[in-house]
Amino acid sequence: MRRRIDVRRLTQYGVVVVVAVTLNFLLPRLMPGNPLVLIAGVDVGLLSPEDRAEIVARVGLDAPLWKQYLRYWGDIVTGDFGYSFRAKRPIVDMIWSRLPWTLLITGLSLIVSAVVGVILGAISAWRRRTKTDLGMLTGMISIESLPSFWLGMVLISIFAVQWGLLPSFGAVTQASDLVGWAHAWDIISHAILPVITLSILATPGVYMTMRYSMLETLGEDYIRTARAKGAGERRVLFGHVARNTIAPVVTVLAIRLGFAFGGTVIVETVFTYPGLGRLVFEAVSGRDYPVMQAAFLVFTAAVLAANLVADLLYPLIDPRTRTS
Amino acid sequence: MTTATAAGARRPSLDAAATGANLLDIENLAVRFDLATETIRAVSGVSLTVAPSETFALVGESGSGKSVSMLSVMGLLPSPPATVSGSIRLEGREVIGMPARELRQFRGRDVAMVFQEPMSSLNPVHRVGRQIGESLRIHRGFTKAEARRRAIELLDRVGIPSASARVDDYPHEFSGGMRQRAMIAMALACEPKLLIADEPTTALDVTVQAQIVDLVREVQDEYRLAVVWITHDLGVVAEIADRVAVMYAGRIAEIGPAHEIYRATRHPYTSGLLRSIPRLDRPVTTRLAEIPGSPLRVAEQLRACPFDARCPLVGEGCGEALPELEEVGPDRHGSACIHHHQMGTDSDLWSEGSVTGEHAISGQDGDVVVSVRGLRVHFPVVRGLGRSRSSAIRAVDGVDLDVRRGQTIGVVGESGCGKTTLGRALVALVRPTAGTIDINGDPIDHRSGRHRRVVQMIFQDPFSAMNPGMRVGDVIAEPLRIHRLGTADEMRERVSELLAQVGLPSDAGRRHPHEFSGGQRQRIAVARALAADPEVIICDEPVSSLDVSVQAQVVNLLADVQAATGMALVFIAHDLAVVRHVSHEVAVMYLGEIVERAPRDRIYKAPLHPYTKALLAAVPFPEPGVRSTRSAKLEGDLPSPADPPSGCRFHTRCPVAVEGLCSTVKPELLEVAPGRWVSCHLAVAPGRS
Repeated sequence: MRRRIDVRRLTQYGVVVVVAVTLNFLLPRLMPGNPLVLIAGVDVGLLSPEDRAEIVARVGLDAPLWKQYLRYWGDIVTGDFGYSFRAKRPIVDMIWSRLPWTLLITGLSLIVSAVVGVILGAISAWRRRTKTDLGMLTGMISIESLPSFWLGMVLISIFAVQWGLLPSFGAVTQASDLVGWAHAWDIISHAILPVITLSILATPGVYMTMRYSMLETLGEDYIRTARAKGAGERRVLFGHVARNTIAPVVTVLAIRLGFAFGGTVIVETVFTYPGLGRLVFEAVSGRDYPVMQAAFLVFTAAVLAANLVADLLYPLIDPRTRTS
Repeated sequence: MTTATAAGARRPSLDAAATGANLLDIENLAVRFDLATETIRAVSGVSLTVAPSETFALVGESGSGKSVSMLSVMGLLPSPPATVSGSIRLEGREVIGMPARELRQFRGRDVAMVFQEPMSSLNPVHRVGRQIGESLRIHRGFTKAEARRRAIELLDRVGIPSASARVDDYPHEFSGGMRQRAMIAMALACEPKLLIADEPTTALDVTVQAQIVDLVREVQDEYRLAVVWITHDLGVVAEIADRVAVMYAGRIAEIGPAHEIYRATRHPYTSGLLRSIPRLDRPVTTRLAEIPGSPLRVAEQLRACPFDARCPLVGEGCGEALPELEEVGPDRHGSACIHHHQMGTDSDLWSEGSVTGEHAISGQDGDVVVSVRGLRVHFPVVRGLGRSRSSAIRAVDGVDLDVRRGQTIGVVGESGCGKTTLGRALVALVRPTAGTIDINGDPIDHRSGRHRRVVQMIFQDPFSAMNPGMRVGDVIAEPLRIHRLGTADEMRERVSELLAQVGLPSDAGRRHPHEFSGGQRQRIAVARALAADPEVIICDEPVSSLDVSVQAQVVNLLADVQAATGMALVFIAHDLAVVRHVSHEVAVMYLGEIVERAPRDRIYKAPLHPYTKALLAAVPFPEPGVRSTRSAKLEGDLPSPADPPSGCRFHTRCPVAVEGLCSTVKPELLEVAPGRWVSCHLAVAPGRS
């Protein structure tokens, strides 16, 4: 059975993209006050009249709205997210320099939390209502309730301050011209604590989804059918339970992948890690609106892309969702 | 788990006749579930034997322990909470306490099982063929290719058309009947000696049920298979059972050869079950025989006959000791009733009585309350961009109907024929694509829903049709609140009046729906439908999810209500025998159209449309040996209502279709005799040709 791409789905995604971009375009223009403040992002009064005129012309604030709108789309399509007058850099450069760091720590922590969460969730469900299950469940609920900044600070104070094993801030050691393996280890050692923090915080969600999904599956009639055929526990688990269980977990993970692109403001701030989350933090505290808007666009696109991935993966797992 | 010591003193003498040649030998089986809140004794003291190639029917209502007994044969009960004790021997080998590894070798190879819900019993993410081949891969070491080849042969054997093309389908691409055939193919894969069929036809249409019963009978001969058929319906198994055990409250009430059980019944419960099956060969009575109360759930060790509270024969000694099975007839016929000698061959223990009330059965000429003309309900199938209505499910496709005051019109047909959609359109839950629905001469108003005071509905599943968070009193009062009928005090009074009318205790209003049994919940649904004093009630399969003994209670309640209030009823059902008891007029639907409509007695005595004939022939006959072959058997499944066949929609399955005529020319629904409508080229009205 060949499956065509679901046109209706894709259309829905297109609509969401257009709405998001339009909102992003309209927000600075509809807010009270001079849109220039929001677009230039600095105290406009400090600018010289020439500078102001230049910005107005550059963004096209003197053109009719529809022209501005078309131009805005043109800029986005060509990858021009504007200019940060505060940082004095094109915004796209700022994002490109931050994105790899964010992806490094959020991606790694996503993998770690997925593996640990799925395995522990499966064990918990398989041994439902035993001490193992209850113990793990209680542990996960406790972890879920930990504040992220607190966990990050505890880890810093133990591993960085007390034992001095790992660096406590940044992504690389500043002003060190490390090359090759030494450079790689430098990056890894800086990433370890943020990744551990993020992994610990993300695992309970995966664990809960996995445990609940597997408990559901174990109660299904077809599991009884498999046992009635004489299937052993291993065959029941891997042949019948696994695939039915994993579908909702895959969806949860794909959506988390989308959020991973946004970085994590708190953890990156605690570790002074130069990711997107920290960029957003800096932009907020410096009222650098264009940067915030660009980050918002990147974030929207990533979440949508991740949802699309989930939508495309789901039919591979569950044939009932395939369109014929 | 304890392995029982061999035949103790309590072992019923009946089993003494059982010899070592038995395939399955169950002795003094007991199953207990230790739940957090209570202990349930699901099965106790059950002993029975199944010989090779024998068909053994295990009959009982929900909660009687019939499925639990057989799941313990398979070792499929989860432990904890289940504790199984006693002895289960398969070909002489003790199953209870057997190591899991050995037990698995039995399952699927020597004993196979078919379950009630074929959809949920098949793994949705695996292809049907793979699931059928799985036990061959487990027990016989087949390769993937060998297993697939064998799966095709098996699918072909169980009657799946073009099996080699369907073997790689997923379960959701099969129809309900095909799924159950696939389950049977799966069970047959390793050529087991014993097949346990747990209510295999309960979720299916009558026509498909007949096909499955026939299929099991065929493969049983071919594979020399012993079958344990678990069912709540004595009608279904009458044609195939060799021996029958009737269970009640986890114990065997009566056991014996089929002809004795049906013809020389020795337990009042068995006879009650038999009498509450509506039968096509008996004169219509306005009330069905009913067993009062609801089935018992056993928590404590029983010290008295568990049936005494519902039994018409209850007398001296019933409440004093637990009755043991006693031999009461030839061929190891046993009954656990101390008053069994009081039972005649066809006693009047369960009398039907008749409906009385000022509006009791007036005749043909009530006013028309609901008038339907040219009703069509199409559901667009949305594909690709936008809402292109390239195709549509034609659920209801041109229906005319009149519902008269004080009368019941029965609407029958297989699932997918559009009967439920028709019912929903009458309550304005779905919007008609074309046609009109008039209530008391006024067209239905879709916006306000005001007419819903006049038209109420009772749904199939009383478990899901009620908000579990509301108290029963509020459930019943809700229509009164919606239509602002009276003050709070008046509403309270009306609720207790309604509770009394449907036979529920007056304190029921303060409790929640989950505290009631299925039958009681359907009574609550009746009370809710009655609350706003409607003129028509649409009943959508109101009894098909209920136990047989309780079905009769609800059917009788509806008849009583009609007699008391003179309201009109639309009774939608797939069971022709039930419809016969409640209806004045019957309409048969096929693929969105009415193919025959006639007064009740005419349609049952002399059906004109071949589809009606086939439906009637599929109704199981609750007496063994009377019928061995069906006169008009319906093959195959209902065609897709999105793409109905040309000409007469029934011609693809019709046994008498005429090539060139039926497949091209669409027959009109014609009045062939007064009040008698049929749409068939070949149906000739009596006295008109």
